[in-house]
Amino acid sequence: MAGGAKLAHGILFSILNLLSSFLIASTISAAAETPPGMTVVSNGVFHPLFRSLTDAQDVPVKSFLLDIEPVTNGKFLEFVRAHPRWQRSQVKRIFADESYLKTWAGDLELGTNAAVDAPVTFVSWFAAKAFAQGQGKRLPTLAEWELAAAASPTLADGATDAAFQREILRWYSTTKPATQPVVGRGAKNFWGVRDLHGLVWEWVSDFNSATVSGDARGDTGLDRQLFCGAGAIGAKDVQNFPAFMRYGFRSSLKAAYTVHNLGFRCAKDL
Amino acid sequence: MKLALLILTLSASTALAATNETAEVLPPCCRPLAAGTNYTDKSVYLLESTWTSDANRRVKLGVLRGRPQVVALFFASCQFTCPLTVSDLQRLEAALPENLRTNTGFLLISFDSERDTPAALKAYRAKRELSNQNWTLLRGEPDDVRELAALLGVIYKKDANGDFAHSNVITVLNADGEIIFQQPGLNLPPDEIVAKLKSISPP
Repeated sequence: MAGGAKLAHGILFSILNLLSSFLIASTISAAAETPPGMTVVSNGVFHPLFRSLTDAQDVPVKSFLLDIEPVTNGKFLEFVRAHPRWQRSQVKRIFADESYLKTWAGDLELGTNAAVDAPVTFVSWFAAKAFAQGQGKRLPTLAEWELAAAASPTLADGATDAAFQREILRWYSTTKPATQPVVGRGAKNFWGVRDLHGLVWEWVSDFNSATVSGDARGDTGLDRQLFCGAGAIGAKDVQNFPAFMRYGFRSSLKAAYTVHNLGFRCAKDL
Repeated sequence: MKLALLILTLSASTALAATNETAEVLPPCCRPLAAGTNYTDKSVYLLESTWTSDANRRVKLGVLRGRPQVVALFFASCQFTCPLTVSDLQRLEAALPENLRTNTGFLLISFDSERDTPAALKAYRAKRELSNQNWTLLRGEPDDVRELAALLGVIYKKDANGDFAHSNVITVLNADGEIIFQQPGLNLPPDEIVAKLKSISPP
């Protein structure tokens, strides 16, 4: 990356610019029929970190419902109890790799390494998707998740909230604890959503949409033998370090992967 | 009650019709073998999604069980690499020894749920001269395409023009629908895939 050193050096000084790619024009709609545990995230515009020349600069995101907290071990246990084919010993290998629900003590037993109120991790994208469907919900799209996650405790667009940006960076640079803390401890953001940052990474429905090669050098870094792109893909905002991190993490995933700090939450159409 | 019965009867007959039609359009090797049961733990055919062929038949991927399949995702209006991927597959088909050619399927699945209607796929089949015997062309709902792509490790994104940026991967499934080989890239000689197909074919 051309500005790599500059980027690294400038992170703390460019906090104000972080997440500035999310411009949010929103109105808070009445949450008349908001299901328990969910909250409304209202109309906004997501500006993708990477985009090709033919990609839209603004991806409008319609209002949607999002879980306030990530799905917990306890909730996932209820799910596998009702859907035995998602139990650890039953799951088809193509839908979840060998470490699926690894921290649990058994098929239907959490044990001491998986607190009932901690976010469920070691879940594959397929398992997360099946859970969501079981609840009549779905996984959030990348655009939806990023839109919700851009909000600070006080602002829909938290790009100018320095304390919030500092907190995100702090989490990205902190070693993760061996066992997951419980959900719901994070501050509510502008939409009333908790733990989008600071607890676990989260699956999104279209995690496999990151059509750029690994080194993120934009156009010149693209291997045209591997990717059919409609034009150059380059970074929109090279200052947005956390977004880079999420982008890189998502593009390293495969749908059957299960990872120790990767969980999910559900969304729903309004 | 009557209504419920009527619906039941209707859906039962639709299902039957679908099965019959499936059998009709598929080559002899691939007629439904109790689709939806007894797949191995690593079979792509465990997917429950339903797809529509260019002959407007509703099928599950499991109907392809029975012979190896060479799979690629594409979209018919693609101006970039998809035509090359299809050419790669055609070159591969031509390079197969006769006994393998009749025992290998080629499956093209569209990213473009909107524009690649069965008619569009049918036109594409004609344009690229893809034989009915060996080639299956399918479209599906966006969520199902996303799921299949995730399973095959294919990365893609729809752009503002409705086109798709996507990774180029050719996947080889064995007769049980398990991924046995994946070749990323374009314009590659078919040798490696031919060798894989030979290695899994009965002597």
